[in-house]
Amino acid sequence: MKNLIILCLLGYLSIAFADKETLVLVDNLNIRETHSLFFKSLQERGYTLTFKLADDANLVLSKYGEYLYKNLIVFAPSVVEFGGQLDTEAITRFIDDGGNVLMAGSSAAGDVYREIASECGFEMDEESAAVIDHFNYDSLDEGDHTRIVVSPKNLIDAPTIVGTHNTQPLLFDGTGLILDKDNSLVLPILTADSTAYSYNPKNQVKEYPHAVGRKTVLIAALQARNNARIVFSGSLFFFSDEAFNSPVSKVHGDKIKAALSGNKQLSIHLSQWVFGERGQLRVQSVHHQRQGDKQSSNTYTITDTVVYRIEIEELKNGKWQPFEANDVQLEFVRIDPFIRTTLQKKPNGIYEAIFKVPDVWGVYQFKVDYDRVGYTRLYHSTQVSVRPLQHTQYERFIPSAYPYYVSAFSMMIGVFLFSFVFLYYKEDSPKSKAE
Amino acid sequence: MPSAATENKANVPKKGIFNNTTGFSTLITVTVLSLAWLAGFASRLFAVIRFESIIHEFDPWFNYRSTAYMVQHGFYNFLNWFDERAWYPLGRIVGGTVYPGLMITSGTIHWILHTLNIPIHIRDICVFLAPVFSGLTAIATYLLTSELWSRGAGLFAACFIAIIPGYSSRSVAGSYDNEGIAIFALQFTYYLWLKSIKSGSIFWSICTALSYFYMVSAWGGYVFIINLIPLHVFVLLIMGRFSQRLFVSYSVFYIVGLLLSMQIPFVGFQPIRTSEHMAASGVFALLMAIGALKYLHSLNPKGQWKQLLILGGLVAAVTVFLAVVLLTYMGIIAPWSGRFYSLWDTGYAKIHIPIIASVSEHQPTTWSSFFFDLHVLVCTFPVGLWYCIKNVNDERVFVALYALSAVYFAGVMVRLMLTLTPVVCVLAGIAFSILLDLVLREDETPAPTQESDDKNLYDKAGKLKKRTPEPVGETGLGMNVRSGTLIAFMILLMLFSVHCTWATSNAYSSPSIVLASYGNDGSRKILDDFREAYGWLSQNTAEDARVMSWWDYGYQIAGMGNRTTLVDNNTWNNSHIALVGKAMASNETAAYNIMTMLDVDYVLVIFGGAIGYSGDDINKFIWMVRIAEGEHPKDIHEADYFTERGEYRIDSEASKTMLNSLMYKLSYYRYDSGGSPPGFDRTRGALPGLRGFKLTYLEEAYTTEHWLVRIYRVKKPDEFNRPRLPLAKRTIQTSNVMSKKLAVDIGHMTSKRRKGALKNKPILVKGKKVTKLD
Repeated sequence: MKNLIILCLLGYLSIAFADKETLVLVDNLNIRETHSLFFKSLQERGYTLTFKLADDANLVLSKYGEYLYKNLIVFAPSVVEFGGQLDTEAITRFIDDGGNVLMAGSSAAGDVYREIASECGFEMDEESAAVIDHFNYDSLDEGDHTRIVVSPKNLIDAPTIVGTHNTQPLLFDGTGLILDKDNSLVLPILTADSTAYSYNPKNQVKEYPHAVGRKTVLIAALQARNNARIVFSGSLFFFSDEAFNSPVSKVHGDKIKAALSGNKQLSIHLSQWVFGERGQLRVQSVHHQRQGDKQSSNTYTITDTVVYRIEIEELKNGKWQPFEANDVQLEFVRIDPFIRTTLQKKPNGIYEAIFKVPDVWGVYQFKVDYDRVGYTRLYHSTQVSVRPLQHTQYERFIPSAYPYYVSAFSMMIGVFLFSFVFLYYKEDSPKSKAE
Repeated sequence: MPSAATENKANVPKKGIFNNTTGFSTLITVTVLSLAWLAGFASRLFAVIRFESIIHEFDPWFNYRSTAYMVQHGFYNFLNWFDERAWYPLGRIVGGTVYPGLMITSGTIHWILHTLNIPIHIRDICVFLAPVFSGLTAIATYLLTSELWSRGAGLFAACFIAIIPGYSSRSVAGSYDNEGIAIFALQFTYYLWLKSIKSGSIFWSICTALSYFYMVSAWGGYVFIINLIPLHVFVLLIMGRFSQRLFVSYSVFYIVGLLLSMQIPFVGFQPIRTSEHMAASGVFALLMAIGALKYLHSLNPKGQWKQLLILGGLVAAVTVFLAVVLLTYMGIIAPWSGRFYSLWDTGYAKIHIPIIASVSEHQPTTWSSFFFDLHVLVCTFPVGLWYCIKNVNDERVFVALYALSAVYFAGVMVRLMLTLTPVVCVLAGIAFSILLDLVLREDETPAPTQESDDKNLYDKAGKLKKRTPEPVGETGLGMNVRSGTLIAFMILLMLFSVHCTWATSNAYSSPSIVLASYGNDGSRKILDDFREAYGWLSQNTAEDARVMSWWDYGYQIAGMGNRTTLVDNNTWNNSHIALVGKAMASNETAAYNIMTMLDVDYVLVIFGGAIGYSGDDINKFIWMVRIAEGEHPKDIHEADYFTERGEYRIDSEASKTMLNSLMYKLSYYRYDSGGSPPGFDRTRGALPGLRGFKLTYLEEAYTTEHWLVRIYRVKKPDEFNRPRLPLAKRTIQTSNVMSKKLAVDIGHMTSKRRKGALKNKPILVKGKKVTKLD
């Protein structure tokens, strides 16, 4: 156990340094200037940004099987084909190996974007399509009504991802995303208003648009099962200095005006989430024992009372700190959960449950499956066996059987006494008969 | 031919030369019995010589594993052993669900040998236990037959049972199963029962009960004893052969045997709670009632007691019967189990309990297997039976009942041939003894034979006179007829022993975990795929990995692979087996749901298509479907797995459900062996209907050399990391499936350093001013 913790710590330390390595792919180096505020905020938080052109012939994500970067930012909507070793497959493999990706496209984004999006479970609308909203566009719009104003109410209700103080309207200019409904892992972070649709603004609307109204997702996120995070924005403009600094004033409707858009705040929050600064949970330790015992055991007897303790930690400001929640549940499972109970919160991020093992033997698992939007999936299962009573553990004397004990023992005494009678009793009758 | 030689010697005591000297006859008896033991032991060693000292088949692996556990952890830990590696996640209480006699026997031998500082591995004890016990069986049979007829017949019977294939099929070296010791216990119990009923002494009855206790601890077939002995008593009562001897021996045996049998945890309260055991208690009650009436009769022998006795007996019988029926209705006594019903109605199991019908040894016996297992004895034992019935006494009633019931049961189930074999040997021994008596007694003065001695002792004197003329009439055979008959029967016996050796060697000595195939030039090739696969499992998978397979292989995976199994040969939980069957019969997605529910890590299937091994999973598959349908009639339908014409096929005409079932896919995945055309299934003689498919939720982990065992790893849900949208589900079409860089067109080195492409990229041309694009 001790060794394991030391190993974990070592592993954690080695990861901590590599955690901040970030590759930024741009389609022209100008973006470094136009999105400087966003990049600056990242650098201030300690990220090492490596800027590369997306068609750079020397692009590599990994060397000798080790990834050079933990995070990837793709701000290159006009890429047709990545340079070097990078392609859709390399990026999806990067995700499968736990890398985080932040991608931002625009209405001009090519098929590479669409492919990567599809690999993550959402789709990006056709090339040159843009989200148009004739009711919620900004006063600075150039006439296509693509520079739309989105209310922060359209944000997903997940403070870990988007933060808590999103009150400023958001500016968006880009293409729409469509989400696969059957998919529970994909999160619509920001959706458009009901009046929006996604189509090529230069063309007349002939077909039914792919994305209409609230189904038009502007920013989508995916937390893969390995806790890799992907944020996919339809708009590169969303992260730009211009959007960060420009005032917002809606032309129609409630005519919201704000001196500054909420883009900066949201972008920073999103980047914090996507690169794993927030919403990270881990199990520090698990302990279970028979109540009253001191040693942990892998075998319980039916109807034992068991104490289960799990210590959960959350990454806050770069440090693992006790996690606070009231809804962590424990299941005691043998195919089906026999017991499902909410763990009691104790100080220092320890959660505890005391329960009685069911009167059914078998191989059980303690399962803690804490899956909340915005948090990494916390899953821990420990296998224990629940055995029936041993032959010495049954009751020796049952009260209801006392009559039988009495009869058995009285019989024994009777036979014992009778044997004396039998042995030493002198029969007279034969004699009398003989006589 | 040791047996032929011994048979000759068996007749020696009759010749009269050594008749007076008991020393010689004892010497001959001992010699014959030890030779029989030796012959029996030697003929069971084919498997060890051809292959190696290894545990065979399926159930023996469990017995071996638990014996090893007991030797290692001690008896009490074995008794309380909760095996969490079997029947995941239900677990199995081994101590409470096993007949521990076998383990205790070999454990005791192991302990004794180690106390004597003979360091022998427990495996070798397990391998050689059954051959050693076959000798004890021979002795027990000798005792039983001498009790019934004569010592000569006993020696014949002992020689027969030592080598007969019907018994050696279950007791070759390595076949470490309950039956190996149970047949000895069975014969010995019967011997002691006859002894006790003959003498009427409490001592022999207690011995019978103790031997019965050993039998109960060894094999579930003890039910045969506890029904046959009451039947014997009952028939004797009906025949009016009630005696104090019978009364004492049965009541002592029943009570002590009942109490002892309840000490086995697996049996527990069954002897007083189930219908299978009710015959014994009913007969006990009846015997008590009749005993009481007889006692009353003895107080006043003059009154109208005869009628009262018959009436009282009838009333008692009816009362007992009604009481049992009533208790069954009230639920205090469990009704007959399904296995028992299948003994009366051979079609019962096929309809109601497919899991019993799916086992090949539960099928009805064919005529040929009677001959194969018993050879000439099957023809001669009716003769012995006839003589027994003709010269009836208390014990011969027993052997007649034994023979009749065993013949019936052997006809119902192949497996029960085992219970028939001993009585066939006994009766054939009697028949041969009588025959040789007739043939070899020519130059002697007609002396009273042993049988007539028996008659004098136990039969009514009036009947004796009727029978004596018969043997006298037969003695007038001519010299040629005598020697001709003798030679003919000697040849028969010789052929018998040849057949026994041949059958044991060829049919019953295969360990079935190591297969042998013979090439055209007679060279032998060993196919060791099973152990290869189990070895792979034990070396390359996690310690607590859970392996799903059909239940046949459960014990082997646990014994050799040392991994957790879901179902095994102890088929106590039908619904769990049905769940595994359902997983095998469903399509991949549905199966994956079941497999994740059961935390399956690996799936193991047996596929014999490449080498033409017919006992593989595809051939068993229809039983998996049937068992699954029994529990999940909504999801699985047997008819879906047949073609429209009702054929069970795997080629292109097979039904879609069949082709998409998990079992089919796991068997034929990537299969390209089996001769020409590649991918040809030799067992079914067909080309699989679905080929070149891919698996989504499983991946091939290991396939043995001859494709016999295939192991697949079940992917964890985490491995489906991203919810990828397949091309078909996308609403927006992209130009290509995935921009994967092809190394081929440009060459290996350059492809890694290839430049990408950007739209509207400003192109630098030397000497021109850069213009900004919009």
